[in-house]
Amino acid sequence: MFKTILKLAYKNSFLRFSRTILVILMIAVSMSMMLSLQGLYDGMTLNMIESIKRSDSGEVSLYAKGYRLDPNIKNSILHAPTIANEIRQLEGVKSVTLRLSAEGLSSTARKSSFSNIYGIDLRSEEQFGEFSNFLKEGNITFAKRGTIMGVELAKTLKVKIGSKVIFSTQDSQGEINSMALRVRAIIQTANMALDGTALYIDKESLRKFLDVGADRATQIAIRADNEELCKALKANYPELDVLSFLELNPMMKQMEEVMVIFNGVTFFIVMLVVFMGILGVMYVSILDRIREFGIMLSIGMHYRYIRMQILLEALLVGLIGYLLGALLGVLILVYLKNNGIDLSAFADGLESFGMNTTIYGHIKLSYFIGTFVAIITASLLSVWLPLRRIKKLNPIEVIKANK
Amino acid sequence: MFHLALKNILFYKGRSIATLVLTFLSALFFIVYVSMMDGSHNAMLQNSLKIYTGAIEIYKKGYRDIGGNEYLLNDVQNITQKLDNIEGIKAYSSRYETYGLLSSKEQSTASMMVGIDPKKEQQLNVLSSALIEGKYLDGTNNNCLYSGVDLVSKLKVKLGDEIAFIGSASDNSFTADIFKLCGIFKTGLFEFDASSSFVNKNYFDTLMYTQNKASYITLKLEDINDASRINSDINSVLDKQYESLTWKTLMRSMVELLEVDSIFGYVSLSLFFVVIFFVIMIYGFINVSSRTKEFGVLRAIGLSRGNIRKLLLYEIFILSTFAILLATPIGTYITYYYSLNPIIIEGIAETYKQYGIVSDEMPFSFDIFTISWNVLVIYGLNFLSIIYPMIYINSFNPIEAMSHV
Repeated sequence: MFKTILKLAYKNSFLRFSRTILVILMIAVSMSMMLSLQGLYDGMTLNMIESIKRSDSGEVSLYAKGYRLDPNIKNSILHAPTIANEIRQLEGVKSVTLRLSAEGLSSTARKSSFSNIYGIDLRSEEQFGEFSNFLKEGNITFAKRGTIMGVELAKTLKVKIGSKVIFSTQDSQGEINSMALRVRAIIQTANMALDGTALYIDKESLRKFLDVGADRATQIAIRADNEELCKALKANYPELDVLSFLELNPMMKQMEEVMVIFNGVTFFIVMLVVFMGILGVMYVSILDRIREFGIMLSIGMHYRYIRMQILLEALLVGLIGYLLGALLGVLILVYLKNNGIDLSAFADGLESFGMNTTIYGHIKLSYFIGTFVAIITASLLSVWLPLRRIKKLNPIEVIKANK
Repeated sequence: MFHLALKNILFYKGRSIATLVLTFLSALFFIVYVSMMDGSHNAMLQNSLKIYTGAIEIYKKGYRDIGGNEYLLNDVQNITQKLDNIEGIKAYSSRYETYGLLSSKEQSTASMMVGIDPKKEQQLNVLSSALIEGKYLDGTNNNCLYSGVDLVSKLKVKLGDEIAFIGSASDNSFTADIFKLCGIFKTGLFEFDASSSFVNKNYFDTLMYTQNKASYITLKLEDINDASRINSDINSVLDKQYESLTWKTLMRSMVELLEVDSIFGYVSLSLFFVVIFFVIMIYGFINVSSRTKEFGVLRAIGLSRGNIRKLLLYEIFILSTFAILLATPIGTYITYYYSLNPIIIEGIAETYKQYGIVSDEMPFSFDIFTISWNVLVIYGLNFLSIIYPMIYINSFNPIEAMSHV
């Protein structure tokens, strides 16, 4: 019996071919567009988060108490290498890097700008966040008093590879010191704060310049896949400020939340309208055949078989629409993931606000599961009203009335 | 034909109600969404213009791209005399901008030091009203320093404390002086408050050797929408070595970012419109296909294909017009109301301060032109949605249509 009903459902679904195709197209186009937008927006947020983690905070960062409020070299972490070694032994820790930094003034012969100098170990940063991937111009090296500069700072100072820059700041003794540096590389981290102000030099050179001990660092950044790590570190190092990525970047947390709400509302509205579309077609399709259903009831077919046939029709249309939409969605998302959208025409605006000029998409299985559930639910709900009408049918009256 | 269309609308209530509701909602949503998006973008730009950047600024060519003391304006008085003859300029002032190190007893930090004419500056921006402690620069020729709240906090100083400045003068010589902190301001622009200090230009000129010189001249206009016209007027009277630039060039980064944001906004909107377009088309198609016999009879009694097209266009025209006539005044009122009484989102300025958001208020934009084109887009979509049903029904000849089951 089920086979016969399935056959009936299939044939009836395509009885009005144009109408059914329109509904399938509506589901497929709206679904693929929605998936693409979700993937693109998620990709944008995730790219920003990943850039900040790779270039700066990692999953967790440690600072000396008070450093965040008063970023002074005097407020640096004592025994930083020992602490870093202890952290490396913890479960889930993938990489740890130490940084020394100071605020100051960068000047060329013609321009000046505020900047933050970072003393880093290139090998450690490479392991931490694939530092060399940030390279935009030049070579990643600190040779011959070399410095690596953020792209926006380079634009402000109007410098290019080989240009000379003077960096001035106060050392740990309170004396104003200056050092001459040569720009060896320009990097773009897509981290607004770093691209606009960062100047990287060798950690040891900066340590000497600032006159601080070898066991000091202003930041210990950690890459890890252990979600409990931050809590454990807070317990282990109560004398330090242990902050998770989201604690350090509340804006990112809010951006993520806004994105979830935005995607949720979009999803709901689109599905509501899709539901209206399916409802319209199913309702008319059933009313068109009300006499046929009357005959089926009058010759003894049980209502539950008619219900099954109608539900199968709705499911079939919904499922074909979903599959087509999913296929289109996957194709678009894969393209966006691999090639991204090139927004280099707006490079100035995007780069100065710490964004990449190419925006890549993101693919998650949950997009497809959520949409599947929503479309199938919308398809099934769309026949609820027509089914109620059929249930109340008096077969004789229907056959007479629609003669 | 019009009456027939009206009768059909009243008779086929299901399709009429669905089309009306969807058109009404999409028009209303479009008007409100675009107004909100434009409003928040305008607010960001206007806040920047209110705080420091001028609607138009005049530079010596090369100052912005190359920089350095040889690109200072050397004849400020002569240029400003020319500005007096141009209509639409509300106020102007010259500024000398330099960077140097500021040091208190304990701390040193880099700062942008700007020599300004305090009285003229009051007409140009909200710098004076951003005062939170002490006093604004009073125009007397003294060494008072007016600094941003976050800069003051970095230097760990309070009102009346001395702050040493080290920099280089306009002749590239080394220069230093001791200033007294007289006032503290807070604009809400984090970068600005953490890095800027202002000093009386007359006093600064003697220190930096910049009498009758300036980095640039900044202008406020009677109406910012006249910026392009006034800019070309200024460029026509300026020597070729100078350039006058509008805020669109001066804040290119922000303008571009907002353009990208608008593009994404419209892309998101297009998703809703595609779905709504499909649903209106589906309802139109169902309606038309269920009336195939009726159209067959109409054709048989002498109506041409063109008449059928006209009938369907009338139907969609009546439905769309009715929905849009309802949605437009409501949407217009909402945008007008929220342009005067902005929505307040607590904490948004603090969270997004690095993007130049300085207020929790989110005003809407009230612009009749924008509302008009929003409405026209919805109109257009509705007319597009009837094309396929029209083609479908006209593909039948009268006999086929009348015998259609």
